[in-house]
Amino acid sequence: MNSADQPLLKLKNITKRFKSLTAVNGVNLEVSAGEKLVIIGPSGSGKSTLLRAINLLEEIEEGAIIFEGREVGYVMSKGKRHLDHPRAISALRAEIGMVFQHFHLFPHMTVLGNVMEGPLTVQGKSADEARSIATDMLVKVGLSDKRDVFPATLSGGQKQRVAIARALAMRPKLMLFDEPTSALDPELVGEVFDTIHTLADEGMTMIIVTHHMGFARELADRVIFMESGNFLAQGTPEELFSAGQDNERIRGFLNRLL
Amino acid sequence: MALLFLWALSGPCLAAIDYDGLFRQSSDLMAQGDLGGALDLLGKVPPPAAGEEAGAFVSSRMQAARILAAQKEPDKAVAACREVLKLFPDNSEARNFVAALEQQLKPGWHTVLSDTLRFLPSLAKGALMTLLLVLCTMLVSPLGGLLIALGRISTVRPVSGFCWFIIWFFRGTPLLLQLFFIYYGLPSLGITLAPFTAAVIGLGLNYSAYLGEIIRGAIQSIDHGQMEAAKAIGMTYGQAMRRVIVPQTYKRLMPPVGNEFIALIKDTALVSTIAMVELMRAADQLFNTYFNITALALAAVIYLVLTTIFTFIFEKIEYRAGIYEQR
Repeated sequence: MNSADQPLLKLKNITKRFKSLTAVNGVNLEVSAGEKLVIIGPSGSGKSTLLRAINLLEEIEEGAIIFEGREVGYVMSKGKRHLDHPRAISALRAEIGMVFQHFHLFPHMTVLGNVMEGPLTVQGKSADEARSIATDMLVKVGLSDKRDVFPATLSGGQKQRVAIARALAMRPKLMLFDEPTSALDPELVGEVFDTIHTLADEGMTMIIVTHHMGFARELADRVIFMESGNFLAQGTPEELFSAGQDNERIRGFLNRLL
Repeated sequence: MALLFLWALSGPCLAAIDYDGLFRQSSDLMAQGDLGGALDLLGKVPPPAAGEEAGAFVSSRMQAARILAAQKEPDKAVAACREVLKLFPDNSEARNFVAALEQQLKPGWHTVLSDTLRFLPSLAKGALMTLLLVLCTMLVSPLGGLLIALGRISTVRPVSGFCWFIIWFFRGTPLLLQLFFIYYGLPSLGITLAPFTAAVIGLGLNYSAYLGEIIRGAIQSIDHGQMEAAKAIGMTYGQAMRRVIVPQTYKRLMPPVGNEFIALIKDTALVSTIAMVELMRAADQLFNTYFNITALALAAVIYLVLTTIFTFIFEKIEYRAGIYEQR
């Protein structure tokens, strides 16, 4: 298989357990370059855990993560699975951007400082270079006028856009959005969606966990419905959101949200 | 009284033989409680002629001065001392005694003022040493504390165990004991330290242990999402700590660390026990020389000045450290 054909990300039999609870139960998934994948499902269904497992914020018990055709994150030694060397894990994360529900901006750095931080510290770029990258990213998310303020002065929507710019500054090949609008006031959701939309239009590969069905329908190439750690159904938005949805669980879930 | 008696006995050995009897008799009278009689006899010792042995004269006048002071006759006691000073202006015993007696003669504020002027130079020297100790410990202990804190939260068992032990030991034993051990105990292991070095090591280790726990608490109080966000852009644990987590602890650290450093200023008094002359020791020496409470009161004022200055500085730093939180 040549590199053009192979999926950007391939998950094989991913299983994550928290003590007795199985959060993700043997999930298989392929995401091709440029694809926009939306994962929906009720709370506690394992969506966020799966997302976090992809960039190794959660250590999985079973399965394999294959990124650009290469198995990543774990090594076998003495017959046991271990997380790979910290350097290797950091290197992988540097190629996968992640946006969190609660933004997690660095409060002690200015907006520009937040966005510069990855190129500066992780990629070892010069301050000038990092600043120029960060400035570009802030223009992209429409916040170049806020570059010198601290995050505490921003609205939730602005914070999330800075968080997106911070992730983008690393030039990731894949973006993970973990409920990016769930902590926002309703009137601020639109600006974050617009920003994500812009990225989608530029061809960014992304996996989005969200509760906003309208957004999922509008953006997604493929929607996955997840429950109890399993993929219950997947398909195009039309297939999943059609009035004739025959899966009772999904229909019930959607009816409650829409 | 016993001291006076001993002194009176030693006097004759120094005195010219002629006056030997006088001393013995005066001592006998003192022993019987007849101070007046003893004074009369002491007064009979004449000033030495040129080239003559002066010991008996000085001794008798000083002895007389003591008795007069004890009889609440400071004027006469001063006069007796002045007789000695007339011949021997450098006699420190007489001078100190006069100085001490004059306290009782002068009005209060005047006394305090002259004491202050007299004591200030040596107290200032002591305060400077105290300040030096404080600054050195303030330089060493945050670094030690950070290492101990990072060690404590390390997942490497031997490292966290070792740091736990350091905290357990240095918080669990008196600082005074630690100082004694470092200064008096280590030489038996072949390690001899200068008092200042020993003091900084002792204070540094002790305060590192306390600050270690404070810093650990501050690090663990930072939202876990910060570490995740740092890791998500590819930072290693070390980079995340250095760039993201630790800088956010500064503001939270300042109130408890300020507390520790204020305590440190006062704890430096303990190093006076290992041959360091700092503020407490300087005040103690003055007090023991002059039996003058002003020396101690002045030391208290200087400690207050030091703690006030540091409190002010810490408040400024706390404000600066948290400036990013302002909306």
